[in-house]
Amino acid sequence: MDQTLVEFVKTLRTAEIKVSPAETLDAMACIDKVGYEDREFLKNSLALVLSKTPEEKEAFDTCFENFFNFDHFEDNDFLHQDDDDNANDGDGDGDGDGDASGNSEEGGSGGGQGASGATPEDFPELTLQPQSELGQLLMSGDRNRLTVALVEAGREVGVTDIVVFTQKGLYTRKIMDAMGGKALGEEITELQGHAGIQQKMLSGTLKKHRDRLRDRVRDYVEKQFFLHADESGKQLREELLKKVKLSNIEKRNFKDVQEVVVKMAKKLISIHSKRRKAFKRGQLDIRKTLRKNMQYDGMFFDIKWKAQKVDRPKVMAICDVSGSVSNYSRFLLMFLYSLAEVLPKVRSFAFSSDLGEVTDLFEHSTLEDAMAKTMRDFGNGSTDYGQMLADFKSHCMNDVNNKTTVIILGDARNNYGDPKNEVLREIYDKCQRVIWLNPEPKMSWSVGDSEMKKYAAACHQVEVCNSLVHLERVVGNLLRNVS
Amino acid sequence: MALNNDDRLASVDVIQQNFESRNYIANKQIATAVFLAYHLGKPVLIEGPPGVGKTELAKTTAEMLDLECVRLQCYEGLDESKAIYEWKYGKQLLYTQVLKETLNEVLQGAKGLSQSVEKLHEFGDIFFSNEFLEPRPLLKALRSDEGCVLLIDEVDKSDHEFESLLLEMLSDFQISIPEIGTIKANPDRKPLVFLTSNNTREISDALKRRCLHLYIPFPDGDLEKQIIHARVPEIADNLRNQLVNFVQELRELDLKKVPAISETIDWARTLILLHSETLDQDLVNQTLNVILKFQEDIESVEPELATLTNKALKDT
Repeated sequence: MDQTLVEFVKTLRTAEIKVSPAETLDAMACIDKVGYEDREFLKNSLALVLSKTPEEKEAFDTCFENFFNFDHFEDNDFLHQDDDDNANDGDGDGDGDGDASGNSEEGGSGGGQGASGATPEDFPELTLQPQSELGQLLMSGDRNRLTVALVEAGREVGVTDIVVFTQKGLYTRKIMDAMGGKALGEEITELQGHAGIQQKMLSGTLKKHRDRLRDRVRDYVEKQFFLHADESGKQLREELLKKVKLSNIEKRNFKDVQEVVVKMAKKLISIHSKRRKAFKRGQLDIRKTLRKNMQYDGMFFDIKWKAQKVDRPKVMAICDVSGSVSNYSRFLLMFLYSLAEVLPKVRSFAFSSDLGEVTDLFEHSTLEDAMAKTMRDFGNGSTDYGQMLADFKSHCMNDVNNKTTVIILGDARNNYGDPKNEVLREIYDKCQRVIWLNPEPKMSWSVGDSEMKKYAAACHQVEVCNSLVHLERVVGNLLRNVS
Repeated sequence: MALNNDDRLASVDVIQQNFESRNYIANKQIATAVFLAYHLGKPVLIEGPPGVGKTELAKTTAEMLDLECVRLQCYEGLDESKAIYEWKYGKQLLYTQVLKETLNEVLQGAKGLSQSVEKLHEFGDIFFSNEFLEPRPLLKALRSDEGCVLLIDEVDKSDHEFESLLLEMLSDFQISIPEIGTIKANPDRKPLVFLTSNNTREISDALKRRCLHLYIPFPDGDLEKQIIHARVPEIADNLRNQLVNFVQELRELDLKKVPAISETIDWARTLILLHSETLDQDLVNQTLNVILKFQEDIESVEPELATLTNKALKDT
């Protein structure tokens, strides 16, 4: 029974429900108390112990239905279908035979009606037993053993490792082979080669059984796929998305990317939200002060305050939204806004030549909308970094202080215009950090109209940034550097 | 007493009946949670939108078991001195003064520094002993001999630190006070702990892991009718059905704050006060502020009031 639970927990984990070993133990204690008898009761109880958010509860529901329905359904279904088929078998065979013999007899003699009617009963008993193991198993009609054999074969070939749906056929065949399908196939061919009616009949029956078994195996594999692979396939896709160049991500994957970004952001939030610094004023913490000053003879020498402050970086993100770079800025902005809990003060700007603030836009509308509007308002026009820096200086320089981090995302391709790198230098002097993220590889930084070399001199940090992994690292560093 | 409680919590059905007799209509999940909480000795973390009866569940459980309900309301900045214990600083300071004056008597006959120090040590750590300890809710709950129901309300309002503070209490039912040692709950009378959260922020995994997690959503129509029947028995069946239908319709709309059960109950009481027998548009219009708490919401609902009211009337 414990084995069942452990496998269930494994299934839950693939469905992205985080279940710790301790929770598995809790679940066992819970099952001891509840038992397997009352299904709904069991489900409610396990849901309480194992799933810990509304989303997880939903996933848990489907998992539970799929998982605990399986054996039950399998047995029932098999039994049902088998009986059904047997009945059909009998009918079909009887009919066929009756017709055939009827025809022959009609052709032969007219008085054979009685004999014709009796033919189905006279139908020779199938006395020959198949030689192959699987054949014997099939003929014995022992469903439980067959199910066990199926599950064991599944385990043997590792059906739980199935990742994408195209593997279904492969695993079906593997399981068939593991169950002894080859021997059975050979036997069938051999039997067909024989002339005897017994052999012919046996081969027919075996064939039918084999086909049905194959359907069943395919069904089984499909269920395993839904239990194990659906989500791990997703994980695989997400891993890939993290590494792929952002500009190559297709539109249909945006939703997935958004999920990935939110996940990454959550990770960063949990790492960084606990960074705290003692405050220097506010309410007196008597308890701490007394404790601390016991050693100074009760004189209030080292005073402690109650309030604590989380020091959060103030971020200004300036994003180039001209065609080649807009994909990157989209994800940077997405990242920054997903971090709202630890980065409450993000201001974002977009430009291709003139700079405009898009903070409100991104806060109040969906990413798609915001991006579209930004592109509409700022997207057209040739890139002019000099103009952008000049605009930034005139509008926002006053808000820049030694706590501000300025992130600039762009390829620094200035169309041979005036780079105005002295303005960037001014910003550099005034703020805490200037980080330049360039989606182009380092190789091409000094090629053509790129001004990266000049700008790099006025940055604290220059990074190549063209995938989510890069972005995560940059933003993670950003949060770490603030202390 | 324990036997008694075992009886009251013997099975999910019994729990449901017991709750019902106390005018709290619990579905199977809720009853299962209470059942497991008692029998596994685990705290229950209850999440759900405001006003679905999270706090009420804890209170009703306490009532059902004839236990004291110790409540700790969480808020930002709540710390151990308010949740677990505090030293009585005033008393400590006073005693220090007294001691200063009597120091000579105490040290009488002591020769040399080492003897004096020895004598002083004999006082022990009286300043940090039980007499100077001011127990707060968590400590109170642990120390109660009869067992009790501990309600930690709106735990999502507290800080991360406080959550970590709760961990020891929730997993082992004990609290460590550096100066005194570890205080454990009576193993046979562990407090039954309920934590509620409105999900304003994620509760940490460590805390979630130690709890049973119960999510109470808005009830469906039938359940809500039962609840209203239990809470406001004097309301006519007809009006009750109309009212519940109307509220269920409202929940489908895109509102800033959808009405919760508590608001439905309030509304039912209001309508009884007004001696109304059936819903109509004017009546709804006049009493809308009982169920909707934002002017924006009221404004957005008003134009559709006629349709909604008619629908609610028609469905019954």
